[in-house]
Amino acid sequence: MKTIEALAPDQASLSSASKLTKRSNWPRLEKNEQLALIWGECQGSGSNPYRVVVDTGDHGYKCTCPSRKFPCKHTLALMWIAATTPASFTAAGSTPEWVNDWLGRRRKTTSQPAAPATGAAGKSIGEASRDDETAAVEDAAAIERREAAQRKRAQDTRSSVSAALDELDQWISDQLRLGLAGFVDNSSDRCRRIAARLVDMKATALAGRIDEIPSRLMGLRSEERPDAAIRELGKLVLLAKAWRSTPDDAELKRLVSTSESREQVLANPEAIQVESVWEVLGEKIETRRDGLVSHATWLLDLNSASPRFALLLDYFPASAGRRSNAFTPGDRFDARLVFYPARQPLRALVVERKGDVSPREWPDFGFDIADPLPAHVALQDTAPWLTDCPVMLPPGGILLDDRGEAWWQSTDNPHGIALPIADTVNPTLLGLDLAATAALWSGSRLHLLAAQSGFGRLDLS
Amino acid sequence: MNEIEQTGLATMRDCWITGGTSFDLAPAAWKDIAATANPDERERRLLAIAAQALEIALRPAAPKTLKRRPPLPELALPMLPERQRPLLRGALKHAADARAKSRVVALVASRGFVLHPMDWMPAASDQTSPDVYAPWIDWQAGVDGEKHTRREQLTAQNWDDFYPAARRTALADMRRAAPAVARQLIETKGSSEPAEIRLTLIALMHFGLGPDDVPFLKGLSADRSGKVRELAGRLLARLGQLGQPGDSGPEDPIAELAAFITEGKSGFIRRRTTYSPATLKSPAQERRRAELFETCNLVDLAARFGVTEPDFIGAWQFGAHNNVDILVARMVAASGSDAAVTHMADTLVAEGGKPALFVLHLMPRLDSRRQRVLIRLILKDTQYLGALSLAEGVEAGWLDWADLTNGKTLPALRAAVAGNDDVVKRGVDQLLETLGFLATAATAEKLIGDVVAAGMAPAAPSLALLRLNASLAGP
Repeated sequence: MKTIEALAPDQASLSSASKLTKRSNWPRLEKNEQLALIWGECQGSGSNPYRVVVDTGDHGYKCTCPSRKFPCKHTLALMWIAATTPASFTAAGSTPEWVNDWLGRRRKTTSQPAAPATGAAGKSIGEASRDDETAAVEDAAAIERREAAQRKRAQDTRSSVSAALDELDQWISDQLRLGLAGFVDNSSDRCRRIAARLVDMKATALAGRIDEIPSRLMGLRSEERPDAAIRELGKLVLLAKAWRSTPDDAELKRLVSTSESREQVLANPEAIQVESVWEVLGEKIETRRDGLVSHATWLLDLNSASPRFALLLDYFPASAGRRSNAFTPGDRFDARLVFYPARQPLRALVVERKGDVSPREWPDFGFDIADPLPAHVALQDTAPWLTDCPVMLPPGGILLDDRGEAWWQSTDNPHGIALPIADTVNPTLLGLDLAATAALWSGSRLHLLAAQSGFGRLDLS
Repeated sequence: MNEIEQTGLATMRDCWITGGTSFDLAPAAWKDIAATANPDERERRLLAIAAQALEIALRPAAPKTLKRRPPLPELALPMLPERQRPLLRGALKHAADARAKSRVVALVASRGFVLHPMDWMPAASDQTSPDVYAPWIDWQAGVDGEKHTRREQLTAQNWDDFYPAARRTALADMRRAAPAVARQLIETKGSSEPAEIRLTLIALMHFGLGPDDVPFLKGLSADRSGKVRELAGRLLARLGQLGQPGDSGPEDPIAELAAFITEGKSGFIRRRTTYSPATLKSPAQERRRAELFETCNLVDLAARFGVTEPDFIGAWQFGAHNNVDILVARMVAASGSDAAVTHMADTLVAEGGKPALFVLHLMPRLDSRRQRVLIRLILKDTQYLGALSLAEGVEAGWLDWADLTNGKTLPALRAAVAGNDDVVKRGVDQLLETLGFLATAATAEKLIGDVVAAGMAPAAPSLALLRLNASLAGP
């Protein structure tokens, strides 16, 4: 049920779905346990019932209804019935054609292109080989043309991005000349203008980052904003310099222009793959100024001796309503992840999810009490352009200052480092001893994700 | 970062804030890195170095005045198991108001569990949560306190070591076991407490209230708080003690209230006295009568008519005027003797029908047996099912499946679920929530199956409390 709630785009969909869970709405409900599929037909307002199929393994879904909400109420209702009354589904030996169609389309888009099947029905191996050879000869010229076009496009993009970074450099110099006080006051307009230029010049990812600077500054107290502006702009300088020195670097391209596709990451031999037990620590959902919603889900590797994190990042248009992936904070599952190549790999994709595992405590990471931010320092040493860094904090607690703002402070070293917390905290947290806390450190504030306490695991995101 | 670099960074920062070039202000080591570039590039390089210095070498300075709250106390019952927390959160989310939420909390406590503090916390002013939450209520209230809730016997010596909620709980327990000792404590320590606390302490006297309490309560007639004097008067009235005799003039509230009541006779052979509300001429008079019912005591009113409390209740013509009947019921609940309360409850329950509903106002004064009898009566008849939501102070988790099948409730529920009337469906939702609180786990399980079979969506939010109930098989 938690998964269904998390998947629902909004409360209204959930409510509508609950009304559709009556058995009488579903003339057909079937399942195929081997394929981890459930499907059904839901009688809607149209003359034909809507056809809904859900992959219970990875929560993929498809419905024929015209709704623009994803997943729609029919999909949610089907999942709901499966969760509450699984006996409603009849076991089916074979899958209907429309389910097969969906499965076929799905595989094409989610996995690497399959090798052509040799020995296909009606053909001898020799014929199949000949066809392949002919096709190879026929396609060679086309492939060369395509590759040449790709090279040309890549070169054009590189030139354009290079010019964009020149403009960015000039813009940063202008901000220093005009004064950061004015920049802080007018950051919204100023950042919007340069971001628009960067989009025109194909530095799209960088534009998105610059668009977010004003909101990052506004989240701080006014006396902290000049320092934060120095940090933000200084990191842009470093990123631009790094890109110029290695414009083909995958991480830098991702941060400056565009990200690789899922297929490219999967096909990249340098992409690290880790199979482990992962816990969903928490989420950070932000609506960006460019109209996209970024949905970050942070995972913790429960089999690692030192804290290892993974970030599942998803973008979708804000106009599509609230979406969610299949993860709820606190979920624990066995899965193989592939990390986007980077100096400190964090962003990842789930390659294969093998199923949920039972709850357990976080491992004891053997904390370095003297400095709660070693991971942050390490990350900044290798990739100083990064902003949010996941950290695992040693035993500590949440305290309040005179202004009522919350700070995390180590239990064993109350006179040492304390870190301010970005958001308003639940007052109950002030009475809890936190054995370990997972958080994101932005350089000036902590965004809490989850913690272990005497009262068990706490969801803090 | 050394001191020179720190000073350099500070001056560069000031320069950039107002605008200008900071190269001449930079520490020597930083200058070396930037020196070979053109002026713009120099500034950018210094900016990059400064950014990293701020990011890594400087940390936010922790104020010395950071305040740590005392640890949240552990409660006497175990925490609700993790697997049931989603069900609990569903039930809390569906509970519309604080009263409904407190029912969820009471149900869980009745099964031997407490909630996770991040799922629910009582407010500092909470006085309705189960006693087990007293340490959390005190924790919420004690911002800077160094005291801790104590588990030993409350005495005059350790009175100040107890936080208010823990003290209230301890005193309530003591009133049940040794009322005289508790009274003595309230007498000794209560007088030095502020009026608000004094009021809550005196209110605890209703546990184990007896004739021995009369002298102390009479002594409170000189209390400086009007509310305390009024409460003491009510408690005395429950013990059959008449209030201050009035002069029967126009200023005497009892006489004024009596004037709003018509005394009559009924029966042809055995003439007996009846009391019913007088027909009034204006809404202002109605309001005044309502005020008087809220402030006057039953024993004084009965005495004014020269009868005993049970006689007055027996002679009251319930059913003639709904609003006034409710006022009478509330007056009995507030100031009637135990005998008067049980007499009224037994009489009206025996009569059944609508008059029995007025007993709902007496619920907090009734023993659990009488409470259950009334609820079963309402469930059996089903005509006034909606009134069940008014019941206060009822125990959780005792209603059996037979109580639902032995009457019209279940067929009525099924019919309402299968129908299309939205108003009726809303009533069903409310009733299911009430039954979610009252039912045993087995009954909850069966009821879910029954209404789902009748056509209710299995995931309907109104089943949330029943689902939680069904999952809590017992302590």
